[in-house]
Amino acid sequence: MKVTYGWIKDFVDIDLPPEELAQKLTNAGMEVEEIIYLNEHLHDVVVGKITKIEKHPNADKLQVCQVDIGDKNVQIITAATNIFEGAVVPVSLPGADLANGVKIEKSKLRGIDSEGMFCSGEELGIDENFFEGASVYGILILPKTFKIGQKIDEALGLDDVVFDVGITPNRPDCMSVVGLAREVCAVTGAKFKSPDLTYIELGEKASRQLQVELKSSKCSRYMASVIKNVKITRSPMKIRQRLFGVGIKLINTIVDLTNYVLVEMGQPLHAFDKKNIFGDKIVVRDANKGEKITVLNHNTYKLDSNDLVIADEEKAMVIAGVIGGTNSCIENDTKTVVIESAVFDLKSVRLTSKKIGVRTDSSARYSKGVYFGSAEQGIKRLLHLVTEYDLGDIYGGIIDKNNGAPKSRQIKSTAEEINDILGTNIKISDMSKILNDLGIKTEIENGALICDIPDYREDIENSYDLAEEVIRIYGYDVYDNGSVKEAYSGWKLTEGDLGEKTILERKIKNVLKHAGFFEAMNYSFIPPDAIEKLMITDNRKFMIKIANPIGEELSCMRTTLAHSMFSSLAYNFRVGNKSVKLFESGKTFHPNSLPLTELPLEKNKISLGAFDMSFAEFKACLENAISETSLKFNLVRSKECFLHPGISADVVDEKGEVYASFGQIHPTVAKNYDLPKNTMFAEIDLDKLLALPEKRFVVKPVPKFPIVDRDLAIIVKEEITNEDLIKAIKSACGKLFYEVKLFDVYRNASLGQGMKSMAYNIRLSDENKTMTDEEVTEVVGKILKALKFRYGASLR
Amino acid sequence: MEEKLNQILTESLKEIANANDKTSLTEIKVKVLGKQGELTSILRGMRDVAPEDRPKFGALVNEAREKIESAILEKEEVFNKIELEKELAKSAVDITEPGINHEKGALHPTTRMFNKLIDICVAMGFKVVEGPEIETDYYNFEGLNIPKNHPSRDMQDTFFITENILLRSQTSSVQVRAMEKLAPPIKIISPGRVYRNDSDGTHSPVFHQLEGLVIDENVSMADLKAMLTSMMKKVFGEETTIRFRPSFFPFTEPSVEVDVSCPTCHGKGCKVCKGTGFLELLGAGVVNPKVLEMSGIDSKKYRGFAFGFGVDRFAMVYDGITDLRNMFKNDVRFLKQMK
Repeated sequence: MKVTYGWIKDFVDIDLPPEELAQKLTNAGMEVEEIIYLNEHLHDVVVGKITKIEKHPNADKLQVCQVDIGDKNVQIITAATNIFEGAVVPVSLPGADLANGVKIEKSKLRGIDSEGMFCSGEELGIDENFFEGASVYGILILPKTFKIGQKIDEALGLDDVVFDVGITPNRPDCMSVVGLAREVCAVTGAKFKSPDLTYIELGEKASRQLQVELKSSKCSRYMASVIKNVKITRSPMKIRQRLFGVGIKLINTIVDLTNYVLVEMGQPLHAFDKKNIFGDKIVVRDANKGEKITVLNHNTYKLDSNDLVIADEEKAMVIAGVIGGTNSCIENDTKTVVIESAVFDLKSVRLTSKKIGVRTDSSARYSKGVYFGSAEQGIKRLLHLVTEYDLGDIYGGIIDKNNGAPKSRQIKSTAEEINDILGTNIKISDMSKILNDLGIKTEIENGALICDIPDYREDIENSYDLAEEVIRIYGYDVYDNGSVKEAYSGWKLTEGDLGEKTILERKIKNVLKHAGFFEAMNYSFIPPDAIEKLMITDNRKFMIKIANPIGEELSCMRTTLAHSMFSSLAYNFRVGNKSVKLFESGKTFHPNSLPLTELPLEKNKISLGAFDMSFAEFKACLENAISETSLKFNLVRSKECFLHPGISADVVDEKGEVYASFGQIHPTVAKNYDLPKNTMFAEIDLDKLLALPEKRFVVKPVPKFPIVDRDLAIIVKEEITNEDLIKAIKSACGKLFYEVKLFDVYRNASLGQGMKSMAYNIRLSDENKTMTDEEVTEVVGKILKALKFRYGASLR
Repeated sequence: MEEKLNQILTESLKEIANANDKTSLTEIKVKVLGKQGELTSILRGMRDVAPEDRPKFGALVNEAREKIESAILEKEEVFNKIELEKELAKSAVDITEPGINHEKGALHPTTRMFNKLIDICVAMGFKVVEGPEIETDYYNFEGLNIPKNHPSRDMQDTFFITENILLRSQTSSVQVRAMEKLAPPIKIISPGRVYRNDSDGTHSPVFHQLEGLVIDENVSMADLKAMLTSMMKKVFGEETTIRFRPSFFPFTEPSVEVDVSCPTCHGKGCKVCKGTGFLELLGAGVVNPKVLEMSGIDSKKYRGFAFGFGVDRFAMVYDGITDLRNMFKNDVRFLKQMK
């Protein structure tokens, strides 16, 4: 919300420096986001009168001018052609720093001194709308009435400061000069000067000129006034200065006045050319289904019964509160106007504005909520300005159709209650003063605060709201250097709880971190084509789609962490990072049905990804992570579609429940993501691990007698797995088994085709005595026999 | 004989003292104590000594032998020490060569900040509570006093799935769920991922929040200030101060923005805080009694306060990360720096 300081001063007598006022407003919750000096580029520019023009002796296109700038004369060389002796013009003097970036210095042009420059409208940062002649090519010729020597910002009325204030949604009343002026009163203690709402009207009644019928509940009040003999011209200077200052486009007297009142009073107004209102009757009604209207942005919109229109007896003229139609707008030849001042339902205006995608100053204002009394004040203020500037003749009486004024509200509170909420010791008299300064009429009765809530403060409903009003004006620094209640400490004495999920997640993350993995974080969104790239055919292809995504690439909620991981790895690969290992902890989203009718299942997953790492190394990292839990697992060949079918595995429990899948990625998927072939991926189901009981240990005694080591290298067929052999070795050792480890695998043609050599370190221990050589040899013999019998293994 | 013995002793000790290395020591040993050695030959000459003098002379010879032997041993120790030192010197490595190690990874800065904040909160007696990221309109908005088509919805651009199901735009949704489920006193934090339809240099459509909620009989704005002060000191250091500025959130009343003194310049003003000395890092307030009532908590009896902040932003301030895009790019050249 932009307002000028000068405008605020119409309603408050203050003279604080703008920065100081801005700070006070910010401290009270009206955040001044920017202070703009309208005259930032107008210093060292004054009004001058050209007294004499001579040809430059050394240049055909230049002229030497003598200029009266009040206290002295200056000589200026110019190439401008639209100047003449006696012309009043803006003169920029050395030191000026104009809006278009030009800086003025004393100079010599072809041997003759020039002490400044005449300015065009553009160089002053103004245009034709703001000032007549400002867009003319050449120098801006000012009216002869301008005082010679006056500073140009004062002469143009641009010696003002604009505050850009961030208004929170609970304070629509502050989206106006008057609303902010009330805040200024509260923060400075100055008195509020109410806007002048008086006007002169004709004896003839407006109700004889126009009928209004209110047919929709989306409008709670509709007021209208009729003005004849209107002067459709350029607006008075003050109106233009103000609107220019806050950045509103200037159109003509009537339209400018409606905008002026919108900014000043916060009430949107609409002006109709009366001759276009068929039957001299305005009907406020819901749009008919399929009803079309062409509006001022030259688009035609199709409406339905959710939209409110202002119509006459044959056509819709305005999309209520949003934008006017071309069929009834003010033209230069308009003679009689109808001014509308209404209260429309904020939800209706919001929905319509959103639906047709049209946002105007009016719809923005209505979308935040306009209150009942505002309609009346707004229209009266406009009539006052019409009278003040003599812009037309006002018919008597304002037409006012409404569903009844809302009940006045009174809230009762106590200083004790407010202080309890705030934890402060603010005096009741201070509270009452603050509330009264804010326009909330407050009386102290038997220690209670009786507050009459003005209709523009719909946000105030209870003591908490009053407490906020009190503290924001009283100042939050009370907690640093004021009196604060001894804090009640009961709430501090609670037990904290990290929660199982956080604990397990942290354990696993820690293992992975120490295994050399870096934690990645990706958006939860993936593109629809990720399913194809990952070759997913199962239920995970049903992804939840976002209705309003940032883009197609970020439109679906991921059902696996694989796409995110592959993209992150591919990025690292592309930029040349070596041996990258990443993990990510995040959710996947699984709908029960699409489109969603209930909340989907959300699963907590952890993914691992790496390139330049062997299957064995990767497997160890994954197993270490899982060993943080109590899971007793087996590995079976994985059916995960985006993994290499031969170089991947599922981590399963004895029931076959899958807790994780891992392995080298499928070569086609590697190609799809531009990843190296040896890329590894794993996805762990954290929720399933969380459901397991806590990891506990049953500790066996340390062996009392020495452990005996034997190394055995055996030759077996390729298809015999390590797991097969280990199982066989274990069972052959029986009670004497202590440990077994594969330490080498060797493949060579000399072993025979399809054969491999597997070397095991076998450790035996007898819990009752030291084993003799004979006993050891016997066990080894049993092992070899078992391996030969079951797997055709031979000693190498 | 005795004279000769003394002479051998003196000379031997002198030679031992002058020996330069282990070899010369061995030579001395052989020359004096060996089978053909000087001392041995003296012993052999024992038969020339009168029988009554033999024990005495024998003792003298043994004494001399012990002296020589221990002198040799002593000297040998010296040489051993020198040798060891030489050996140690030779085996010295270049201690500045890189350590050979299984290279360590690192947690994401956001996770590290989450861990820090959660640990601080848990130590202050908060319970960690989580909730779904895909939420109903009720838990994300209506239950927080943000009705449909209300202007306060403009504060957040929300991702919708259907008219009624959305990606949560704030972890406050978890607070509503917790208030429905738990009876006061309630003291929870809800860390998690949130989504807003906003993506530019300073906004990520996905980011992380941590919100806290305390509900008990007598809590006030003053408690909120005291608790947040203590919490921020634990995060950014003992010298940290905070200040409240009025603001608006539909679910708190009064609502405040919380500025934290800049951890870089400690309030003096620097580039990080744009010269203000403070960073706007949290939103907080007293829970709006309407929100308590909607979740079935008696607002006459109980009061609450709540606070919330963007964890990614905290992490960026804490680690001096200036570019938000780095947080979701997963470039190991970035992540490695947090090792």
